[in-house]
Amino acid sequence: MIVVVAEQQAGKVNRASWETIAAAQQLGPSTSLGAGPSTSLGAGDVVVLVPGGSVASAAAELAGAQVKEVVTVEHAALDPYTPDGFTAALQDAIAQLSPDLVLLPHTYQTRDFAPKLAARLDRAIVTDVTAIKSAGGGLRFVRPMFQGKLTADVVPQGPAPHFATFQIGAFRADQAARGSSPARVRALTVSVDPGAIRQKPDAPFQQAKQAVDLSQAERIVSVGRGIKEQANIRVAEELARAIGAEIAASRPICDAGWLPMERQVGSSGQTVAPKLYLALGISGAIQHLVGMKGSSTIVAINKDPDAPIFEVADYGVVGDLFEIVPAMIEAVKG
Amino acid sequence: MATAVFWALFLAFVGAFAAQVARRVQLIAAAPRTFSIDHLAFRLNRFVVDVLLQRRTIRERPVAGAMHALVFWGFVAFGGYTATEFLRGLGIVDLTHTAWFERYRVALTPFAVAVLVGIVYLLIRRVFVRPPGLGATVSLESVVIGLFIATLMVTYLLAFRFDEASTAGRVNWWSHMLVILAFMALIPASKHFHLVVSPITVFLKSPELGDLPNLDFEKEQVGLETVKDLGSKMVLDAFTCVECGRCQVNCPAWGAGKELNPKTIVLQTQEALLAGERERKLAEVYSDTVLWQCTTCGACENQCPVGIEHLPILIGSRRGLVSNGDAPSYLGSMYNNLERRSNIWGLGYDQRAKFVQSAALDTFDAAKHDVLVWLGCAGSFDADFQKSLRSLFEILRARGIRFGVLAKEKCNGDPAKRTGNEYMFQELANANVEDLKAAAPAKILTSCPHCVKTIGSDYRKFGYEVEVVHSSVFVEELTRGSAKASAERVTFHDPCYLARYGGKVDEPRALLTRFGADIAEPVRNRDNPYCCGAGGGLLFADKEEEPGSRISDVRFRQLQATGAGTVVTACPFCSIMLKGAQASAGSAGEATQFVDLMTFVKDRL
Repeated sequence: MIVVVAEQQAGKVNRASWETIAAAQQLGPSTSLGAGPSTSLGAGDVVVLVPGGSVASAAAELAGAQVKEVVTVEHAALDPYTPDGFTAALQDAIAQLSPDLVLLPHTYQTRDFAPKLAARLDRAIVTDVTAIKSAGGGLRFVRPMFQGKLTADVVPQGPAPHFATFQIGAFRADQAARGSSPARVRALTVSVDPGAIRQKPDAPFQQAKQAVDLSQAERIVSVGRGIKEQANIRVAEELARAIGAEIAASRPICDAGWLPMERQVGSSGQTVAPKLYLALGISGAIQHLVGMKGSSTIVAINKDPDAPIFEVADYGVVGDLFEIVPAMIEAVKG
Repeated sequence: MATAVFWALFLAFVGAFAAQVARRVQLIAAAPRTFSIDHLAFRLNRFVVDVLLQRRTIRERPVAGAMHALVFWGFVAFGGYTATEFLRGLGIVDLTHTAWFERYRVALTPFAVAVLVGIVYLLIRRVFVRPPGLGATVSLESVVIGLFIATLMVTYLLAFRFDEASTAGRVNWWSHMLVILAFMALIPASKHFHLVVSPITVFLKSPELGDLPNLDFEKEQVGLETVKDLGSKMVLDAFTCVECGRCQVNCPAWGAGKELNPKTIVLQTQEALLAGERERKLAEVYSDTVLWQCTTCGACENQCPVGIEHLPILIGSRRGLVSNGDAPSYLGSMYNNLERRSNIWGLGYDQRAKFVQSAALDTFDAAKHDVLVWLGCAGSFDADFQKSLRSLFEILRARGIRFGVLAKEKCNGDPAKRTGNEYMFQELANANVEDLKAAAPAKILTSCPHCVKTIGSDYRKFGYEVEVVHSSVFVEELTRGSAKASAERVTFHDPCYLARYGGKVDEPRALLTRFGADIAEPVRNRDNPYCCGAGGGLLFADKEEEPGSRISDVRFRQLQATGAGTVVTACPFCSIMLKGAQASAGSAGEATQFVDLMTFVKDRL
C-alpha cells in the first residue's frame, strides 16, 4: 500500500498534494514493492491520508481522485499545525495502516515534520525527489545534490515503510487520475497527547506581499537604458502583453522612476528565474546578471556587440530594439 | 597673604581639573585593554610629524591649520614661562629675576604675537565664517577659551609696560594666572582636553588604517555589543575628539546626505561613557541604520588630526550586530552567496573556469611563473572587468612576464570583514591562505585594490606574508621607458583601497601621463578620494534603505565636473558603481566615457 499524506489549509488541498497523488498513481500499478507488510490492500493501492483539525471538505475534494480510499485523521490537537502534533498523529496512523511507502509533497510543512516522523519510526526517508526509477525489482529515487549540480539515485534501505518527499513541480497535478465515482472516505482514530505538544504557534500571518512578485513569473520582458526614453517603455509593455509576460527593468530605469522599484531585477532588486527572460537594451552589468542568471532561456537584444549580456544569453540579437521589438509583436500577434 | 590666596585658588582649580581627569582615566582603565606600541619607530616619526609639525592639522586646511600651529607652538614655548610664574606665585622659588628668564621672556614675544594672530583668526572663523564641519551652532565654550588665550597673550605683553609692583602690574599678573587656572578647570570636560591627550592618542593610533584585530572565537569574542565592550583606545578616542569636523566633511556618506556622521559617532561614545551607560547597546547609542551606512573608505580616520580611529568602532559594532543576526537583508543574500559559492555573486565556478580557459591562463606553478595573478570575485565573474584583465594579460605577455592563476579561488573575504561577519571572513581567509601557501608564489598581482589590502595586509594575521601588488604599480614599473606624446584629457578616480589604504597615488598617474594622458584632477583626489560607494558591503545595498542621494551619483558628478570626457578607473567595484551612476544620470551622463586603466595602457602600448 502506498500512503500519500495530503496537505490542506482551511479545507483546501494544495496543488503539491495532487502532484504527489499523481506520483503515487504512476508508481502504484507498475511497481512490485517487494515483500511489504501483508495488508488487506494490494501493494500498489494508493491511500490518501489527510490529517488536520477538521478535514471533511478536503477529504471530499480528495475523494475525486482515482485512489483506493481517503483516510481522514482528525484531532483537535492537529489545528493549528505543530510538528509534535503531526508526528504523533501520523506515527499512530502509519502503525495502523502499515503501508509499504509513505509519499509527501516537499512543502515547508513536510520539511518541518517528515524527517522527525521518519526518525521516530526509525525508517529511511528520501527528500526532494524529482523522479522515480524502477530498476531491478527495487525503486530508485532521484534527488538533486550539491545545489543541483549533481543528481543522485537513492535506494532506501531497511524495513518498510520508506518515506519520500517530492519536489514541487516534479509531477503534474493535472495528470492525477480522477475516479469515475468518489473514493471511499474513512475516518481513522488516532491518539495525540495535547500536553506533549511543545510548540505554541501564534496566529498565522502573511508578510506584506510585494505588489509584484516577479519570482513567480514564467516570462519576463526586461528593459534597460537602451530604451532611451520613458515613452518607449510602451513598446516593451506591448510585447509583454502579446506574450503574456511581466515587465521588469534594470536599476537605471527604476531609479529614473520610469518603472516602479518593485520591478527592478538584480542584486538590489528581485531575483528571478522565468522560463523566458527577454532583455531589451540591457548591457548586463554584473549586479543585473546575478538577479536573472537562473532564467531558463535568456534572449538579449542590444546594439553593442560587446555588451556583457551576450555572455549569458542563449539567443542574442545585435541590433536596434526599436526595429526588432515591433516586428516581434507583429509576429506573435499574426 | 597673596601666596595663601594663590595656593587656595590653585588647589581648588587644579583639584577640579584632576577630579575630571580622574573620571576619564578611570573609564579608560575600566575598558578592555587595546593599547599597543608596536612599530615604535613609525609611531615616533608620526608623533614628530603629526603632533610637533602639525602635518595633519595643516594638510587639509592650510590657513586654519597654520594658525592652529602658531597657537600650538606658542603654547609649547610658553610652558617654561607658565611654570616659572606658578613657582613664584606659590612661593616655592622665584626665578623671574634671573638673567636667563629675562632673555626667555623677551624671546617669547614673537610667539605671543603669533598666538594672538592665530587665535584671533580662529575666533573670527568660528564665530563669523562658520564652516559646516564645526557644527550648526557656535560653541560658546570655544569662544570663551579663545578669549582666554587672547587674554593670556595680551596680559603677557602688557607685563612689559607695567611695573610689576604697581597696582596695574599686580592686576595684570593676577588676571594672567587666574585665566590659566580657569582654563585648566574647563579643559577636561571640553574639546580642549585634546591639549592634554591628543599627543598620546596620536602615538597610540594604529600604524595601519582601519586596523581591526581578528576576533578570537575560542575566547567567545563576538565584537562590540554594548558600551562596556569598547576598548581602551576607543574610550581614549572619545575623550580626545576636538570636534574639528574633518571626519565629517570628508565622509562620503555624510556628503551624500546620509545620517552617518563620524564625528557624531565619537561624541555619542563620549556621552554614553560619561553617563555611565555601560550596558547600553551600541546599536542604540549610534542607531543601527547609521552603522550600515559606512563604506569603510577610511577618510574619517585618515584625516583626523588627533589620532582617532573610527573604523574599529563602526566595524566592531557591525560585528556585534552580525553575531546577533542583525544584518540588513541585502547582506544576508551576499553572505549566502559567500557561504554556498564562495563568491559575492553566488555564481558557479564553472564560469571562472570558462574565463580562465578563454583567456588561455596557466595554473600557477612557482617553478615556471614569475607572478601569481589573483582574479578575485570581479575578475572571475564580471564580464566587464574581465576586459580589463585581458588587457593586463596582453601587457604582461608583451613584456615577457610569465604568470599563472590558482586552479580555484575563494573571495578574499573583504566584504565579510568590513561588514562585521568575522566568522565568515576567517573561514575564507584560512581557506585561501592554505591554497596560497601551497602554491607558494613570491609575488601576487591583482587588479582589485580590495584584494591587495586584504591578502597583502589582513592575511598577515593568519601567518601569511607575501608581496601583493596592484596592476597599476606592477605595470608602471614594467613600462618605464615607454612614452607616447599626446595630450588626452582624462580624469582619474582614485580607489580608496589603493590610494588611502595602499598609498599608491603616483603610480597610476605616472602610467597615465606616460601613455599620453593629461590628467584633470577631480575634487577629492590622491590619498583623500571620495568613495564610489561600493565599500563596506554597500555594493549590495538597496536604494530604499538609503536616505540622501547615492554616494556613487555624487562622485560621478564630481568626476564630470572636471570637464574631462574620459574617466579612468582602477578598481572593479568603483567601475561598477560609477557606471551605474552614469546609467542613472540618463542623458546627463551620456557624454562620459569610462576606461579602465589597464585597457588605457594596452591600447597605447
